[in-house]
Amino acid sequence: MIRIYRYIISFLLILILLPDALIAQEQATEEIPDTVTVPLKIRTGVEISGPVIYLTGKKILNAEGYVSVDLNEKLGVYFGAGYSDYKYSQYNYDYLNKGIFFRTGIDINFLKPQVAMGKYWAGMGIRYGISFFTSETSTLTHENYWGKTITSLSPETGMGHFLELSPGFRAELFNNFSIGWSLSLRRLLYPGTKKDIRPLYIPGFGSAGESFSAGIGYFITWNIPFKKLRVVIKPEEPEEPLEEDELSPDSGVETESQSLGGRRPAIQPRIR
Amino acid sequence: MRSFRIYVSASVLICVLIITFSCTPGMCFEETNAFLEASFYLESTGKAKAPDSLTLIGLGKDTARYNKVGGIQPALIPLNTSAENCSFMIKINGVSDTISFLYNSWLHLISKECGYTYYHSLDTVYSTRNIIDTILIKQKTITNLNDQNIQIYY
Repeated sequence: MIRIYRYIISFLLILILLPDALIAQEQATEEIPDTVTVPLKIRTGVEISGPVIYLTGKKILNAEGYVSVDLNEKLGVYFGAGYSDYKYSQYNYDYLNKGIFFRTGIDINFLKPQVAMGKYWAGMGIRYGISFFTSETSTLTHENYWGKTITSLSPETGMGHFLELSPGFRAELFNNFSIGWSLSLRRLLYPGTKKDIRPLYIPGFGSAGESFSAGIGYFITWNIPFKKLRVVIKPEEPEEPLEEDELSPDSGVETESQSLGGRRPAIQPRIR
Repeated sequence: MRSFRIYVSASVLICVLIITFSCTPGMCFEETNAFLEASFYLESTGKAKAPDSLTLIGLGKDTARYNKVGGIQPALIPLNTSAENCSFMIKINGVSDTISFLYNSWLHLISKECGYTYYHSLDTVYSTRNIIDTILIKQKTITNLNDQNIQIYY
């Protein structure tokens, strides 16, 4: 149910943030300067839904933060780190997993500089993640014809790594203060432990039962401008008027109007 | 403007897809026990034939795994996970034999929803020869994937 709330909140965030971005877009289209000054920023942010979910009684704590530095108006380098404490109980076992994870990669802003203006970001993060964790099955019950076996699996350390695509949206609400969300679409490269007793959960990746995982994060970000970059805006080339031949869908085919030697009226329905 | 709308629309679409696929409650649809799978063959013809009556009782157990049932093909034989060997009294068409298995066991995680089970590696099978003629090991690794492990000729 909490997941549903998260997605509803993300949808509302789109609705809240969208008008600002659209106004900016409209302004940008009204005035078309030759250059625009874009502030390059260092961003540092924290993910807020993980601690909130933990406080509402879930057994999963996921705390995560990041730093990103703009390289230019489109690209930024990203470094994130986090801590995860995961507990899971099923009818025949109890599982614990604790660990830390790191992500690094690039963020690409798809918005035009005159739209983004250093305040809006709608784009994609491409990241590599690595996770170090301890995995333990504290109790495990197995029952068959011969009876019940109760055992446990002692803590084992592991290291998993994954790739992540992270499309998202971020907008500056106040001066140098942004909020936003991003989806995370992750592909597990290596789960970190042996085949039969693989971990159920990998910090930073999520449920390790599948090689693909998806999630969503909500971020509060503090932006520190460190440089201003003057970006030349390429004026959109006006569309060339089409040749008369191109206007006619059946150009090259002799028609009655063409047979009039080009003496057609300015507006004339086609006669067949 | 148009491209911006495309990005936002794509994001909303992805959210909807995630909602659709993430709200399925975790349920286990897999077999959670790894049985030794034994198929029966007639020694005279070499063809597969289920016994008309099969009884299988673990030595030391009060209850039968199969009790005078016909048409069992293959028989799914549970191994004792807290030991490295176990024996069964097997009665095929009213004639009794004792069949014993030596094996190693290890834990295997099936899935988050189904939890753990024991897999086995079959080492040796031997039996008395009242009705059983031959036992062939076809697949030593015993998992929950329903592979034929042994063939019993009678």
